[in-house]
Amino acid sequence: MREIIDYLKSMGIDYADARFVERRNESITVKNGQLEAASRNDGRGVGIRVLHKGCWGFASGSHLNPGDLKKLAAKAVSIAKASAATRKSPVSLAPVEIHRDRYISPFSEDPFAVSLDEKIGLLMKVDETLRKTPKIKIAEASMDFFKTDKIFCSTEGALIEQSIIESGAGYEATAVDKGEAQKRSYPNSHRGDFGCAGYEFIRELDLAGHAEKVAAEAVALLSAPPCPSVSTDIIITGDQMTLQVHESCGHPVELDRVLGTEISLAGGSFMTIDKLGLLKYGSDKVSIVQDSTIPQALGSFGFDDEGVKASRTDIIRNGLFVGYLTSRETAPKVKASPNGTMRADGWNAIPLIRMTNINLEPGEWDFDSLVADTKDGILLSTNKSWSIDDKRLNFQFGVEVAWQVKDGKIGTMYRNPVYTGITPEFWNSCDAICNRSHWRIWGVASCGKGEPMQVAHVAHGVSPARFRNVTVGVSR
Amino acid sequence: MIGKDRIIGLLREVVMASDGDFAEAVFTGTDYGLTRYANSIIHQNVADQNSSVAFRVAVGKKIGVASTNIFEKEALIRVCNDALEIAERSVPNRYFNALARPQKYKRLVTFFVSTARVTPAKRAAVVKRICARADRKGLIASGSVSSSMSEIAVVNSGGVEAYQPNTSATVSIIYSSDDSSGYAQGVSRRFERIDLESLVSRAETKCLMSRNPITLDPGKYDVILEPTAVANLLEWLTFIAFSANPYHEKTSFLSGKTGKKIASPALSIYDDGLATRGIAFPFDFEGVPKKKVFFIRRGIGGGPVYDLATARKYKKRSTGHGMPPGNAEGPMPLNVHVAPGSKLPSQMIRAVERGVLVTRFHYINGFLDTPRALLTGMTRDGTFLIEKGKVASGVKNLRFTESMLRAFSNIVAISKGTELIDTWWSDIGCVSAPTIHIKEFNFTGKTEF
Repeated sequence: MREIIDYLKSMGIDYADARFVERRNESITVKNGQLEAASRNDGRGVGIRVLHKGCWGFASGSHLNPGDLKKLAAKAVSIAKASAATRKSPVSLAPVEIHRDRYISPFSEDPFAVSLDEKIGLLMKVDETLRKTPKIKIAEASMDFFKTDKIFCSTEGALIEQSIIESGAGYEATAVDKGEAQKRSYPNSHRGDFGCAGYEFIRELDLAGHAEKVAAEAVALLSAPPCPSVSTDIIITGDQMTLQVHESCGHPVELDRVLGTEISLAGGSFMTIDKLGLLKYGSDKVSIVQDSTIPQALGSFGFDDEGVKASRTDIIRNGLFVGYLTSRETAPKVKASPNGTMRADGWNAIPLIRMTNINLEPGEWDFDSLVADTKDGILLSTNKSWSIDDKRLNFQFGVEVAWQVKDGKIGTMYRNPVYTGITPEFWNSCDAICNRSHWRIWGVASCGKGEPMQVAHVAHGVSPARFRNVTVGVSR
Repeated sequence: MIGKDRIIGLLREVVMASDGDFAEAVFTGTDYGLTRYANSIIHQNVADQNSSVAFRVAVGKKIGVASTNIFEKEALIRVCNDALEIAERSVPNRYFNALARPQKYKRLVTFFVSTARVTPAKRAAVVKRICARADRKGLIASGSVSSSMSEIAVVNSGGVEAYQPNTSATVSIIYSSDDSSGYAQGVSRRFERIDLESLVSRAETKCLMSRNPITLDPGKYDVILEPTAVANLLEWLTFIAFSANPYHEKTSFLSGKTGKKIASPALSIYDDGLATRGIAFPFDFEGVPKKKVFFIRRGIGGGPVYDLATARKYKKRSTGHGMPPGNAEGPMPLNVHVAPGSKLPSQMIRAVERGVLVTRFHYINGFLDTPRALLTGMTRDGTFLIEKGKVASGVKNLRFTESMLRAFSNIVAISKGTELIDTWWSDIGCVSAPTIHIKEFNFTGKTEF
């Protein structure tokens, strides 16, 4: 790697970095009593990013001998030269502290050392329990483990080694009857919950202990009445708040997106630079931070893929929009420092601004008190469907289950609940957030962005929250 | 490009030496370049060379999968043994029978030197033309230009030896003004076949025509869905409806409706991997030849696609839609076509008294109520009000929430021309779609731009 960096320095470039990444993934899926997939995937390679006369080039390859790496470096330079065809003003990078450091993510039990028998056995037990309930026609349980080792070097002298272990698991039960299909998941949908942790994370989930309840709720949904179409107060549980924060706050504050570089695929953002420090994004109750320093949270790491140290910064402070997720290229455009959010999905992907742990700070309410304080409303739980416009304003979420809240008590279960809103109106209607005892970090291992598509591992610390006068049940 | 002889030769050697009862290797190699632009400049210009081999090894009915991106004999033997070890420690899958047997594949020309020779400079020159046009018109250009080569091979210990080299190219353009945007895209195995001037004109016209958009209240409208919008809907149906698992698990809108009338007789939707006017590809990731499968034929419900495991599970034959080893999703249709109709898009617009023309959809989600194929999503990059048979003005974007069962029953007309629409699997397939006129399409929300 040092040789490559020296070689790049000799080519008259402005800046270059090289990342070696080796990644191992193990994935197990059990469905309806059968082992659908048990796979282990290994990959390694180098990605070289070059800034030449203010234009970017990137080349990646899996051949690691010195000759091939030199060719790869030369290719990255030639691509950067091609990028000059449309140059208007040269890219410059914010200065950052140069690190020569090592980071190992904390874990207690190496998930790759736990036997396949044990993992499959646990998933089979869950699957069996789910299918004991009549009308559960689809039971699916899964585990995923990742180990990523990477070395980052730059022409500025950075040399950072990182080793990160991530683990996750979950399951869903689908009840099917008379043309109706209803699903419940545990601990969350989208293959469950994930942490930057070892197998101890899986043990703490107590997967088997929740299976009976999950199956029973899926079956109960089959005969539940459809969620009414009303404007009402809603209480959203933490698992769904995760997606709410993710789509309507996390993505719109990615500064590369704000500056237009995602328009060709995922769109832009309504949280434009002119609104920084001025937009009343939410009510005074709403404070949101990015924090990549939380031990065992899926969006945590030591350094991002530009060599910037993990940090905690404010995004929304008491409702006011105060900060973005930034990179070395974009931070100067808002007179900020890079906050270490540039991450690449492996060696063959260019770093993009990605969410880290984007957390809604806890409020003061106890959950039971919040329900008791709600005269007429709906309690919504567990994401099923998600959609938002290309500036992140109009959203519609479907959830797996809802319950009527009447005179401070949880009542009738509803199926096919949907709620919709306009992002700042919605967050300004937030009048209560549950306290730290209800606050939990949820890992999301499937955040998509970029072209070619990159998948990032991110997380959201949230607790249940109440929103006033929201449009619910607009699906038909 | 590594080449057929070296890939097949090495994989054959490794799978034949495996101690498993069956062994299979799936090779995918890519040499990919993408030039991405925004604010009328190139902001991302990347190239990637990689190859991956996934081994699936069976011991009785126990299966293990392992993969690597190191294409060297020792590494391949080690990973094939890893797959064997996983299989030995696994549990039997009663639906596993055997891997594919030797097959004959349709000869398809899917590799074109003209695309293989596209350089970063050539892609940058295309972007420069697109951006120059934006500058002249006072617009902002965003989008991407890609070119790729790939090799896909399937080899198994039963004698299957399938290999296909491919090229693929895509261009996407979004022109934006302060209050509007317009989109156009092209995909082809041959870079030079993408009609850049036509795409530029279309995106520019849409952007300029949709300036000063009006706000339209949600409600039911006639819609003219252009090919990209139709393809956006179909991409979701490939996940939730057209595959064997949702069909037999009764979560698909096709479940229980085979042979029954479920849509307008004007509508036929099918998968055909061998149709050369699409992005054809001769076999699936299990080495089974692609077969044509109708999901809807003249309004009558058809059946789903199968791989080897689901074929055995549901007592059918594989239709050649297996996905790479280790996937838990089951078979997928990657070459979805909507049969053309008889109208010109201009005729279809003239037939609309009051309606909405949709260029494309954004962020569709189909998990709301899968037995009814209830989808939601936003319009994007060119949404127009049609009044008295003419495009009257741009419209601020709308949210639809609509059952495809209902929408497909409300088809008024289908265009006789179809377009190929880029998908994330465009090396081996895409969606071929016409323009479709649907009545009473349900818009449930609106946004501010």
